[in-house]
Amino acid sequence: MTNNTPTPLIQLKAVHQSFVLSSGQKIKVLKNIDITLMPNEILTLLGPSGSGKSTCLRIMAGLQIPTEGKMLRNGNPLDEVNPDIAMVFQNFALLPWLKVSDNIALGLETLKLSAADVTEKVKQAIDLVGLEGFEEAYPRELSGGMKQRVGIARAIVMERPILCLDEPFSALDVLTAEVLRKEVLNLWISKKTSIQSIVLVTHNILEAVSLGSRILVMGTNPGQIRLEIKNDIVYPRDEKSGTFKELVDNIHDVITQAIIPDTPHWVPPALAASAVESLPPIPINEVIGLLEVIEIQGGRIDAFALAHTLRRDSVQILLMAKAAELLDLVDTPKSGVVLTDLGKRFIRGDVNLRKQILHEQLGQLQIVKLLKQKLEGEESLSMRKETANLLIQEWLPNEPATQALDTLIQWTRYGELFGYNADTDTIYLDRGDG
Amino acid sequence: MIKTLHFPVRKLQIGDLVVLILVGFTIYAVITTAQRWKGVYQPDVVISLSRSALPLYALFSVSRAILAYGLSLVFTLIFGYAAAKNRFAERIIMPILDIGQSIPVLGFLPGLVLGLVAVFPKSNVGIELACVIMIFTGQVWNMAFSYISSLKAVPVQLHEMTDNIGLGKFQKLLKLELPCAATGLAWNSLMSMAGGWFFLTICEAFTLGEKNFRVPGLGSYMALAIEKNDSHAMIAGVLTMAFVIIFMDFVIWRPIVSWTGKFRLTETLETGAANIPSMSLLLRGSKVFQAVSSAISDLLNGIGRSRTNRLSLPNAVESSSAKKPRVKTRRMFRVANIFDQSKILRSLIVGALGLICFVVIGKVFVLVEPVRWVDWERIFVGTTFTFLRVVSALIIASVWSIPAGIVIGLSPKLTRLFQPLIQLGASFPAPMLYPIALTVFTTLGIGLGISSSLLMLLGVQWYILFNVLAGAIGISNDLRESFHLMGLSRKTKWLKLYLPSVFPFLVTGWVTAAGGAWNASIIAEYLQYRGSTLHTVGLGALISESTSSGNFHTLAACLIAMVVTVVSINRVVWSRVYQLAEKRYRFER
Repeated sequence: MTNNTPTPLIQLKAVHQSFVLSSGQKIKVLKNIDITLMPNEILTLLGPSGSGKSTCLRIMAGLQIPTEGKMLRNGNPLDEVNPDIAMVFQNFALLPWLKVSDNIALGLETLKLSAADVTEKVKQAIDLVGLEGFEEAYPRELSGGMKQRVGIARAIVMERPILCLDEPFSALDVLTAEVLRKEVLNLWISKKTSIQSIVLVTHNILEAVSLGSRILVMGTNPGQIRLEIKNDIVYPRDEKSGTFKELVDNIHDVITQAIIPDTPHWVPPALAASAVESLPPIPINEVIGLLEVIEIQGGRIDAFALAHTLRRDSVQILLMAKAAELLDLVDTPKSGVVLTDLGKRFIRGDVNLRKQILHEQLGQLQIVKLLKQKLEGEESLSMRKETANLLIQEWLPNEPATQALDTLIQWTRYGELFGYNADTDTIYLDRGDG
Repeated sequence: MIKTLHFPVRKLQIGDLVVLILVGFTIYAVITTAQRWKGVYQPDVVISLSRSALPLYALFSVSRAILAYGLSLVFTLIFGYAAAKNRFAERIIMPILDIGQSIPVLGFLPGLVLGLVAVFPKSNVGIELACVIMIFTGQVWNMAFSYISSLKAVPVQLHEMTDNIGLGKFQKLLKLELPCAATGLAWNSLMSMAGGWFFLTICEAFTLGEKNFRVPGLGSYMALAIEKNDSHAMIAGVLTMAFVIIFMDFVIWRPIVSWTGKFRLTETLETGAANIPSMSLLLRGSKVFQAVSSAISDLLNGIGRSRTNRLSLPNAVESSSAKKPRVKTRRMFRVANIFDQSKILRSLIVGALGLICFVVIGKVFVLVEPVRWVDWERIFVGTTFTFLRVVSALIIASVWSIPAGIVIGLSPKLTRLFQPLIQLGASFPAPMLYPIALTVFTTLGIGLGISSSLLMLLGVQWYILFNVLAGAIGISNDLRESFHLMGLSRKTKWLKLYLPSVFPFLVTGWVTAAGGAWNASIIAEYLQYRGSTLHTVGLGALISESTSSGNFHTLAACLIAMVVTVVSINRVVWSRVYQLAEKRYRFER
């Protein structure tokens, strides 16, 4: 190295990514992404589902070629599978018909080593991840944590400089995840493996803060980097320390602001009337469930604290809150969620009152009004799902229309506004007479 | 039998043009070669009725079956891979498989035999070839569908994993894709092989009017035994056939199927496995079977192990260059996709295909042009009669086999008892028994018009029974118990639970049975019985008759009529019923 700044291991430059859905709709999943991975760091991509963090990881690994922009490996463009990366997958990606040792040995397949070398390397990897005694087991005999150890061992054995972890702990229970997080960190710190840098994709803020030396917070619609945070807290990190908590709170605020902003952008009244709300992809019964929980907790909760107690993704909780807010059932000061008067009336009411309130509140949503108009324009007061899908695409061009429509149907069915016939795939106006 | 069926919902595409060309060309080629037949076929194969000849004949039959199966497997592996990996290939191959699956290929048999005999007039190579081709066309389609759907069902993460490691295309096939496809392929092979006996025995015993095209084998042995009215030989023939089927099934197929069971993606239950409803239940046979099967499974495991060891034998270590994984896959894929992207190339291809299509259709048109109106009328009437026979065979079969299948399937005890018998029934080539059945029908005073429908029934009822049984085995215990607890009447249980539950399986049974019935019409409507030729009004009879009398224009017209009728019924009726069954009545997996 001639100068002081080392070459980045990987760079994404002005990367855009779009996918074409089977309906023909084009969805933009990544917008103008710049990521640089330096040697000796743990880079964390943190964001809710749909923020394109896994897509970023796949582009870095060369498993996905970006629609626009470049991927550089050690400063040179690369449009093939990246040979520097070893991946660990969320669902382990083990072959069920191979024993643990053979699954790990698969990582050496392309190296053309002698049988003795393979055995030796596999043994080392097994020692490193603590799988001794399980060499002859099949994946189905293992617990989730043990399976992921096999996944990690397979990655280690490949002896590549970069380890990519794609939500590696989210399929595991909380305690196992905690243990494995520590073990991965120790592997990296101890330098017993070839791994120089780690890229971790996660939606768990605590995980991001406890592992990441740099955290990129990503947002949705389309996926983009909202914030870059340098995290210099010394490893191993204490979750109870002040600096740790402060960082977590900061990130909470950023994410909350992105999902349920306290001060909505001011829009001229004329436009506001025509602005079509996007519906959070949350089933209505979960929204009601959230309201029940708030009522039990005395009318107010903190989204992140609740996420922690319920062991749910905090973004999911925020989306539920957003859905409830859309219906005027809650207010959301910062990451707090408070029942409105209407919300209190709703949650204390019986099923009929609840349906009535939902009926009225949903009726005020722009997207419901628009669809209602269209349905009333039809002679049969009904339309094919595909037709509605096209309309939604027009109204919400940046969202997957099928998902938005499914949410809409689910909500309005409950609110007895629209009905849906699965046999004929038609949406019809529910006139409350049957 | 539970084969992998395929009913696409799709628009017309390039592949349909290719299909039209292929079907047209096949009809044209078969007819024109058959026309060269001069009526001279010298090799007079002497078939012996001696019991001691039976092992050799069995060996002949098995060799033909295995040869045809090998051909099917090679076809499946090559074209299935192409269809699963390349969108352009898929668009051509899928419609071909689709049509191949639905055409009653036996309709082409008389023409094919005559044509191939004309090409090899001095030996029985032609007939041997016809045998193999017929069995091949009878068994390849479901294997190919199963292979393609398994390849497509390989989870994305596993693909990404192997890409990340840097496995090349071939290594990926060997390490990931073939194992994923193994279970479905093995099960469909078993099914195909069972269906193959039907085609095999018909081909071996093929006669056309007074003309004899037999080749030595179990089918011809049986045919001769019946002709000579040698009841001892008949029994020996039937027993040998049954023995061969059971032997192949238990010693080869079942061990293979249960061995491939270990390749199932249990953690992410994918379609590959779903093609084989209740397979483990169906395979739970007798103790003897389990013993034999586990022994052979162990053997296979041993082979598998030594193979993996061999693959990792010492090799020169070349870390720097070897470390770089092969990453050409994506690029090659892109090259293959040029076909998709280049509009000009595509319209050129479509144009060329259109032109060829035009020419071929023209040729076929010229071929059928001399057919008189009277003959078209006969063909129309014949098609209607055969259609009615197929429908009544299905109805009669359904009437008894749906309740029987459900009753047997609901009781594990009865299942254990009957299941192997039913499978034997479904595998046993019914045409071998036609003359015997015919004797019964004639003594009862039933004419061929009706009894030919009963002959079809003889072969196809097992398909329905077998599928309904598989469906009934899978009815959830929770549902049965909850119906019981609610105190619902027997009628309600049948109408609301049992029948809807087995419906998707029933549809598969119907489709398979209908295909079998159309095939059977070729021999059930026109057959040799006690030295004379019996025939009745029907499309199958017309096909045999026009071939035998050398009326090739009418033969071509018959083939067209059959292809058009059966394909339309498939597209209009079965595909909708199948779609409905899958959407409404299939339990979520």
